[in-house]
Amino acid sequence: MNGFEINVGPAHPSTHGVLKFKLTIEGDTIKKAEAEIGFLHRGKEKAAEDVTYMSYLPFVDKIEYVSALNMELLYSSLIEKALNIQISERAKYIRTIMAEFGRIMNHLVFLAAFGEDLGLISEFFWALRERELLMDIIEEISGGRLAPVYIRPGGVFFDFKEGIENKIIEAMEKLEYKIKEVHEYAIIKNSIFKARTKGVGILKKEDAINLGVTGPNARASGINRDYRKLNPYLIYDKLDFKVPVFDEGDAYARCLVRMEEIKESIKIIKEATKNIPKGDYLIKMPWIIKIPPAYTIEIQETPRGEIGMILVSDGSERAYRLKIRSASFFAIKAMEKILEGEKIANFYPILASLDPVMGEIDR
Amino acid sequence: MINYKEIKSEELRKEAEELKDKYFLFSIIVVDRINEGKFELNYLFENKENADLINLKTFILRNDPKIDSISDIFPAADYEEREAYDMFGIIFTGHKNLKRILLPEDWPFGYPLRKDFVINDEIRNWTGTDLRW
Repeated sequence: MNGFEINVGPAHPSTHGVLKFKLTIEGDTIKKAEAEIGFLHRGKEKAAEDVTYMSYLPFVDKIEYVSALNMELLYSSLIEKALNIQISERAKYIRTIMAEFGRIMNHLVFLAAFGEDLGLISEFFWALRERELLMDIIEEISGGRLAPVYIRPGGVFFDFKEGIENKIIEAMEKLEYKIKEVHEYAIIKNSIFKARTKGVGILKKEDAINLGVTGPNARASGINRDYRKLNPYLIYDKLDFKVPVFDEGDAYARCLVRMEEIKESIKIIKEATKNIPKGDYLIKMPWIIKIPPAYTIEIQETPRGEIGMILVSDGSERAYRLKIRSASFFAIKAMEKILEGEKIANFYPILASLDPVMGEIDR
Repeated sequence: MINYKEIKSEELRKEAEELKDKYFLFSIIVVDRINEGKFELNYLFENKENADLINLKTFILRNDPKIDSISDIFPAADYEEREAYDMFGIIFTGHKNLKRILLPEDWPFGYPLRKDFVINDEIRNWTGTDLRW
């Protein structure tokens, strides 16, 4: 007998944007799942061929709007690599701090959305309240909040203001306290949350790596792989931080990984802020730049996994081709596999635990 | 460390089999080399243990864009090949579910990332299937 087919999405608050799943069910068990994506496709790769290299910066922010700072960093590093530019030591420290800000903010949105999906509305407000702490600092530094065009090829747009270091340390201590005293109890020590996520949506280790899943999702499946450690960029080789790895591979482990990563990021920011050297924050470079013909690959560890940008340049002031390798794109493919044999009620916890952002998937 | 290797398009499956145990597919980068009448396909593989990369480069003819699918060897290639089909119109023979992925299924204007694709007013104002009464 053929099962029913039900459509989940694309317009549903729990689908984290506009994601549609076609589920073939029997009883309440999912037999087959097929994802339908592309509802947010804006042609970012085509746009890169139309505008100059520097003018593409604001576009990059909107590819991945939850952790825009990490995408700015990735694009700026790509241009610097193609032009063979070394940035100053101070810029490297500032960038590291901002990248970890992006990571914490992304993971807080993850906790907020996860809580909301499971009916824990308080967590939604609490996590976004903590995110506001960081948002205010970013606003003070860059002038922008969700999409601060702050990191640019050659360094950063503005230097740190005087006294901002103390504010950062203060905010980090507050956040550390809140994570320990509020979010651990609300989420990972909450017995209802455990009951809904433990053993749900297991992604096996072999499947994860063969499907190209990276980042926190892979680390929850026992894959010890972090690009910050494998191929250190910026100042990550000078910093002392741990990479949390869990073997269970279920939705609960994916939540634990993010929780631990927030704590590690707080440590990184504190250490980097204390040791920030004096010097230039920006290397002067013209607004219109020409990149000689080359094939440049830049891969970095963003909060969502390994995102890569591959630039094919032809000597003009515009990219000949810019490929953006999305990390969530592969997580959605893996989700089709995870869902087979799961109950429909577990669909939302699994989706939330993989942390997809549609802007990045559809580009 | 990046290893660049240029192969013939017929050898792709053989080369991919050899990489299967140690590497995973990171991305497929298609470049439209319109002046040479060719598509350049770059298969980027990443080592499972460290950050080593292997870039397999191959060319196929632009007026007959066909190449063997590797989606049965590397499951991650499934979506990447569908995207290459969607954006460039490359046919991956042996792919089980080759259809548009990012663009709508009723998209009538061809393949947008090809260099001869020009964005005109008709495309700008296209809203999909007419669903009015």
